[in-house]
Amino acid sequence: MSGQRSVKIKPNYEVIAWKWMRYTAIALIPLAWFHMILQDVLVGVHRIDLNYVQVRWAFWGWRVYDFFLLAFAFAHGVNGLRQVLMDYIHSEKARIWVSWGLLVFWLVISLIGAFAIIGGVRMPSS
Amino acid sequence: MSSLKTAFSGYVRYKGRAGHWAFLLHRITGLGTLLFLTIHIVDTSFVYFAPQLYEHAIALYRNPLFMAGEILLVFSLIYHGVNGLRITIFDLWKPEWWEIHDERKSVLLTLIVAIVLWLPAAAIMGYKLLEYGFGFFGG
Repeated sequence: MSGQRSVKIKPNYEVIAWKWMRYTAIALIPLAWFHMILQDVLVGVHRIDLNYVQVRWAFWGWRVYDFFLLAFAFAHGVNGLRQVLMDYIHSEKARIWVSWGLLVFWLVISLIGAFAIIGGVRMPSS
Repeated sequence: MSSLKTAFSGYVRYKGRAGHWAFLLHRITGLGTLLFLTIHIVDTSFVYFAPQLYEHAIALYRNPLFMAGEILLVFSLIYHGVNGLRITIFDLWKPEWWEIHDERKSVLLTLIVAIVLWLPAAAIMGYKLLEYGFGFFGG
């Protein structure tokens, strides 16, 4: 189209979140799909136990992989949940409470996951 | 909660056809995956916080019901990914493809690609479900 005019607008939080949902989507397609195909389809839950996780995490590359998967997937998921919830919650007060709740939920679960990846498997002494 | 009621009855009554169904399926598969992901992060963290509980969590996943759910989970993640890629490509690079006739075709293509990718995975997992869950193939 001729005579097009572009205007620079300072991006607000929603614009940044909108973009990051798409950037993380691109990262998650290889990360999450490969993880799922390997663990759920090829290895399968019947061959997964403490020993399996210990052997897998003995290679630090898998810990880095899992760390990125955790960070991208859970942030993407909780922001998606926020988008869904905000379609139903319209009062300003409720929106603030739900946003704080989601932030705490995201932070707590992310930290639990990150601690486990860093800490690794603690074999019970038997 | 009236907004919730309006939203759900709207989901049923709204005649948005293909794009509407893709929107719904994207939300359902996304929320389902997030529910599993949350449980999965916590149960995996048991390897560090409560190793003796980890084997119990895994034993639950080995239940045939959970194995069937796992097959659905794989579909959810594949569909959500293919449809998410469609949304990302349209939004970031090809906004003109949101034009309604192209969009309707792309919704159908997305579903076909997702099913084609899912079927081999579902076959392997279905085999394992019969083997471990019901003792087929000498399992």
